[in-house]
Amino acid sequence: MADGDEPLRCRGMRDLLPGEMAGYRQVEETFARICGDWGYSEIRTPTIEFLHLFTAAGTLSPQMLERTYSFLDWDGWSGERVVLRPDATIPAARLYVENLFPGQLARFFYTQNVFRFSTGEESREDWQCGVELIGETALAGDVELILLGRAVLERLGLTGLKVGLSHAGLVRTVLSTAGLDTAAQVTAYDRILDSDLTVLGEIEAKLPDLKAPLHLLFDMQGGKASYLANLRAAFLSGVPGMAGPLDDLMKVAATLDSVSCDYQVQTTLVRSFEYYTGPVFEFRANGRRVGGGGRYDDLIGLVGGESVPASGFALSARELASQLRPRPHAGDGEESWVVRPVGDSPEVLAASFAAVAHLHASGTRASIGSLAGESTVGRWELTVDQRRGRLTYRLLDKLTSRQTSHAALEEALNAAESAPND
Amino acid sequence: MIRLALPAGDLREPLGDLLREAGLPVDDYAEGSRSYIARGSQENGIQIRVFREADIPIQIAMGNYDVGICNLSWVEDLMQRYPSDAVVAVRDLGLHQCSLYVAGTGNEGDLLLDWSSWGDLRIVSEFPDLAEAFARHLRLPSYRVFPVWGAAESYPPEDADLALILAEDEDAVRKQGLMPVHRLLECSAWLVANRESMAKKDLSAVLGPLLAPNGRGNGRPSLSLPTARVMGRAPSGKRSTSRREDVLRLALPDGHQQKHTVAALDAAGLRISGYDQETTISRPQAEMPNLEIKVIRPQDMPQQVALGHFDLAVTGRDWLLDHRYRFPSSPVAEAVDLDVGRYSIAGVVSEGLPAQSLAEAISLWQREGKNTVRIASEYVNIADHWARSYHLSRYKVIPITGASEGFVPEDAEMLVEGTETGATLAANRLKIVERLFESTTCLIAHQGPVSDRRRRLMTEVIGMFKRSAGAGT
Repeated sequence: MADGDEPLRCRGMRDLLPGEMAGYRQVEETFARICGDWGYSEIRTPTIEFLHLFTAAGTLSPQMLERTYSFLDWDGWSGERVVLRPDATIPAARLYVENLFPGQLARFFYTQNVFRFSTGEESREDWQCGVELIGETALAGDVELILLGRAVLERLGLTGLKVGLSHAGLVRTVLSTAGLDTAAQVTAYDRILDSDLTVLGEIEAKLPDLKAPLHLLFDMQGGKASYLANLRAAFLSGVPGMAGPLDDLMKVAATLDSVSCDYQVQTTLVRSFEYYTGPVFEFRANGRRVGGGGRYDDLIGLVGGESVPASGFALSARELASQLRPRPHAGDGEESWVVRPVGDSPEVLAASFAAVAHLHASGTRASIGSLAGESTVGRWELTVDQRRGRLTYRLLDKLTSRQTSHAALEEALNAAESAPND
Repeated sequence: MIRLALPAGDLREPLGDLLREAGLPVDDYAEGSRSYIARGSQENGIQIRVFREADIPIQIAMGNYDVGICNLSWVEDLMQRYPSDAVVAVRDLGLHQCSLYVAGTGNEGDLLLDWSSWGDLRIVSEFPDLAEAFARHLRLPSYRVFPVWGAAESYPPEDADLALILAEDEDAVRKQGLMPVHRLLECSAWLVANRESMAKKDLSAVLGPLLAPNGRGNGRPSLSLPTARVMGRAPSGKRSTSRREDVLRLALPDGHQQKHTVAALDAAGLRISGYDQETTISRPQAEMPNLEIKVIRPQDMPQQVALGHFDLAVTGRDWLLDHRYRFPSSPVAEAVDLDVGRYSIAGVVSEGLPAQSLAEAISLWQREGKNTVRIASEYVNIADHWARSYHLSRYKVIPITGASEGFVPEDAEMLVEGTETGATLAANRLKIVERLFESTTCLIAHQGPVSDRRRRLMTEVIGMFKRSAGAGT
C-alpha cells in the first residue's frame, strides 16, 4: 500500500492545458462581454464560506450537502465548519444581503469554481458561468435571462440550441394537493424523474377531482404555448392551484414566441425542484445540457435578508468549452514573430529584448526563441547576432523562405512590412 | 493469507468463545494478552491482529485486512463520512446487541417535527459522522457536532443539546438521565469484509465457520435517518447557552489519569465526593461552594474549555498540544503543571529497523523506495505537525483510537505514541527513535473574558493547585 507509483494529482481534479484553457478563456470572455452588454456587473465571492450558509438555506438537499468539502478552519475550535463553495448562487445571495440595500436591483455575473465530491474519476471541481438577477423584475426578468443565456451560446457558435421551459410550481402544486408532505414530494418527484411512472397512479388516487391522467403533465415533452392551454383545460378543475404557475408560464412562453426564441415545455425539467419557486429553464446544445436556472424568490430571505425576488442561471464552462470549434492556437497568428538571440552576450540579449518590446508596442505578437531548434509558429523569425562588435539582424520569412540580413532593427521591420503576402 | 482484524475491549471474551465454538480458536485473545499480535492461527493461513473496535472499519476499507469483527455502528459512521462501498457487512454475530440513540434531556419538544425554534444545536458523539448525517437529514439550519472520545451521555444539557449514544434500549437511555429522541440504528458485533477481498480472494477459511447456521444474530443493517418535516427557514439566531456567572466549572478526567488527578486534588486541598481511586460518577460534588464538576474524557477537554463550557480542566499536556496544533488561536492554555503522570510522546518504529534516529529512519525509507510514510497515531495533529516540520514528502496520518502497537510494521511505518516505561513497546518489538516531548498532567484554563466573580474563583482554584504542585517539587 505504501509503495508504488501513486499519481501526484488529487483524484477528481483536472489540469487545464493550454489548448483547453484557450477554450475556457473564449467562453469566459464571450460570457463576460454579453453580460456586460446586458448591463450585468462582475462579482467574485470567496472560495471558503460557512457551512451553515448552505444548510440554513435549506435549498441544498442532504444528498448534496454530504458531498461538500467541509472542514474545521484553523480557528474552528468552536466546531463551526466551513466549506469549499459547493454552489455559487447562495454566496452571491449572501453578498447581496451583506452589501446592498434590501430590494435594490442587482444584475451580477461571475465565473467561479464550485466543489462537489463525486466518486471515481468524475470531476470534483467545475467552473460555472453564472448570472443572478435580484430585485423586483416580474416575468420580464425570466425572459431576459433566457435571452441572455441564448445569446451567449449563439455568440460562441454552438449549434443545435434548445431552450427547455417549465415551472417549479406545477409539480409542487400537484404533489401538495395530493396531500404529500415535503419529504414525500421529493421522493415522488425522484421516482418520476427515474421514469417510475407507477407513482402517477398513486398520486391520481389521491386527487379524486382530477379529470385527466397525470402522464399528460409528466410524460410529455416539446410542448408550446398551446400545450400549456391544454394543460389548463385538463387539470385546473382537479388541481386549481396550477392556475398561477400556468399563467406565469404562458406569459413567458408568449413573450418568447413573439421574439422568435424557440423553446419546449417539459414539466420534469429540473432535478432539485425544491430550489426554485417559479419559471425554470435549461439550455441544451448538440443534444447535451449546457446550463440552466430559474426563479428562486425565497433565496435572499433564506440566507438571512429581507425577502427579495431573484432568478438566475449558470452555464457549465467545461461543457461549453468542449463544444467549441478549435480556434487557431494563440501562437499560430501569421504575423507573429520569434526573435532568436545567438549566444548570451549582454549586447545581443539587450538587442533581442528591445526588438520584442518594439514589436509588442506595435501590437504584434513576438516571443524569444531558443537556439535548441524547437519548432516555431508564426511567419517571421529574426536572429540577432554580433560579429566583430557589430549587431546583425537576419530575417527569415517562413512563408516565402526568403532570408535577408540587416544592420539595424528598423531595416528588418521595414523589410517585413514591405514583403509580399504570397 | 487471510488477514483478520479482531476487536480489543469488552468483546474479547464473548467473541473468543464464539470463535472457539466455530472452530477458529485464537490463542491468548480472550485473555487480553498484552501483545496485540495474536498467534496460533498462522498455520490455517489466517493472520490475526487486534485493534480498537472503532479502528477496524477503516482497516477493512483500506484493504489492510480482509475480514474484521466490530460493532456495526462504527462501520455506519465511517460510511457516512466516506460513502464508498469498500466495506461489506456480512453477518450479524449477535454479540453486544444495542441501539444507537439520539438523546436529549426532554426539553427539545418534538424536535423531529419542528426544530424551527432552535438556533444553534449542539450534538455530541463518538459517532460524529452519523451525527452530521442526522443533522443534514433533519435539515437543521445551524448545528455543531462535537466529536468526543467518550462520556457523550454526560454532556447534555449544559454542554450539548443532543448526544448520540449506544444503549440496550430506551429504558437504558433514560437510566442515564436522557430522553430518547430518535433511534438511528440497531447494532451489534458484525462480521465485515473488504469488498474487493470478498470478490477476489478465497476467504472461506474464516467465512465458512462464522457463516455456519447456528444461533447467531439475524439483524440487517438498518440505518434510519429522519426526514425533515419543515425546511427552508433560517434559524432564529444563535441560542445563548446560559451559564451561571458565579459558578466555576471544572472538568476532571476518567481513565488512567484519574489516579494522578485524585492525588493532585488531595494535595491541593480540594475535597470532592464521587471521584476517588475507586469511584467515578459523572457529576461529583465539590465541598467548595460554586464549584461545579463533571467527569469527561481527557482527550475532549481542550475543546470543551476553549468553548467556555468549562473554565478549568485536568488533562494531559499531550491533548492540549494536539488541540493547539489544530487550532492555534484557541483560547485555552496550560495554567499549572501538576507534575504527575509523566510520559514521553515519541516517534516509534519497528525494533528491526536499522535506524537510531528519525532522520536515519526517513532516509532509510527513502532508499527503500517507500513513497508514502504512514504514521498511525491517536495524536493526529501532533503527528501531522511533526511530519510537516520534518518535511516528509508524502505521508498519511492514520487516526486511531488506541492499541496502536499492532500497526507497525505492516500497516504503518511509524507511531506517534505515549510511552511511560517502554514495556508495551518492547513486548511488541518496537523501539523509540525520537522523543518529541514530555507530557504530564496539567490544569488547563479558558482564556476568554469572564465575570469578576468567576475570575476570583478561578484564581483561587488555580492558586490551590499551584501551591500544591510547588510544594511537591
